[in-house]
Amino acid sequence: MTTSSLEKMRLELRRGVLVLAVLASLRQPHYGYSLRKQLLARGIDIDEGTLYPLIRRLAEQDLLDSEWQQAEGRERRYYQLSDKGTELLMQLTDEWQVLNAALGHILGGVAEEAT
Amino acid sequence: MMDLVARYVAAVQRELPESKREEIGRELKANIMDQLDALTDQQGALSEAAISEVLKRMGHPGRVARQFVPPQPLIAIHYMPVYQHTLFLVLGLLFLLQVVQTALVWMSSSDMGIIAYLFAVARGFIEDSLFGFAVITLIFYLMSRQTHEQNDDSDANWQPQQLPDASHGWQVISRQDIFSDLATYLFLLVVIWYPAVMTVEQTDSVRIALSDHAHQFLRWVSPLLVLGIVASMWQLRRRLWSRRMLQGNIVLNLSFVIVTLMLAVFTPLLILDQAQSPGVYDLALLERSAQVTLIIIALFPLWEAGRDLLRLRQF
Repeated sequence: MTTSSLEKMRLELRRGVLVLAVLASLRQPHYGYSLRKQLLARGIDIDEGTLYPLIRRLAEQDLLDSEWQQAEGRERRYYQLSDKGTELLMQLTDEWQVLNAALGHILGGVAEEAT
Repeated sequence: MMDLVARYVAAVQRELPESKREEIGRELKANIMDQLDALTDQQGALSEAAISEVLKRMGHPGRVARQFVPPQPLIAIHYMPVYQHTLFLVLGLLFLLQVVQTALVWMSSSDMGIIAYLFAVARGFIEDSLFGFAVITLIFYLMSRQTHEQNDDSDANWQPQQLPDASHGWQVISRQDIFSDLATYLFLLVVIWYPAVMTVEQTDSVRIALSDHAHQFLRWVSPLLVLGIVASMWQLRRRLWSRRMLQGNIVLNLSFVIVTLMLAVFTPLLILDQAQSPGVYDLALLERSAQVTLIIIALFPLWEAGRDLLRLRQF
């Protein structure tokens, strides 16, 4: 498989997971940069050019509430999960756990064949 | 420091719809400034190269703008099959109308050769089709803007039993084939029947024509062309070869072969007005050329009949 094909599939694989990670992280209020730092600290590296537009799109779907605040002499837009977002997060989390368990079995088989 | 950031934010804003420029620009700038502040805390005062590196990591302004506001396709994806079908149908009809219209001009003109006729068809068709393409696209664009989400009930109510039996790849009839057949039939009908309504001046200007006998024969077989038009319209509706349609097509094509070969052995086939162009044409040579041409033309429906016979055996 070529590097570009691998990269394309990797991005596709991460796309859905990133939404889940962002929604889960925004149970507490964050502004763009602080959210990125938190995700990075938990092992998810997402570039700024992808993260900031993603937050906005989620807010436009009413999954996030947002508010401009002044802090440390600078204005920042804080985001937090809305009621609709919280409901969706719970549903997506259930879905993820079912999927993850099933995938664990399948990938476990692949790992055994490889060894 | 601020200059590079301002230029970057402005570049992103330029790629955004006007209604979203200010808000996204404001937010993007706040995010970048947060990053630069964090970097300053780690490294001290930032050089232009360090700021440039941060901006490069953000991504090209065009890409970032597309992430903020993903581009919308001109035609919504659920309209695409209907759009393509409509486009093909309308362009096909425009082509047919152009063939007929230009054939009428050609028949009434004494100085328009076959090459000029083909160019006139192509030019007229390109003009009409550009207009048709623009109008259809505009209509579907407006429809796409009005309905962002469409629940297509027909998708939910489908039954596997309703699907046509299509086990061979060749069973789908291409629209190009149908429209080229229709164009041929209409063209031939115009050629056969137009002389009946020509004025005396137009008739006098014709130097070479089919003999009266040959013309009469063609008028008798013109119902066959009408039958071909009906069959093509039916194909356009069904778009799938069935056993019966193949049988009908074989009979039709074999009839065309017989008619063309019968025409080729007609004597006299052509008449020549020697008074208008004395010594320019040799009638015997012209007749021989016309006969050879007709035999070559007969090979096309013969090939189609053979092809359909082979397909019929595969059912």
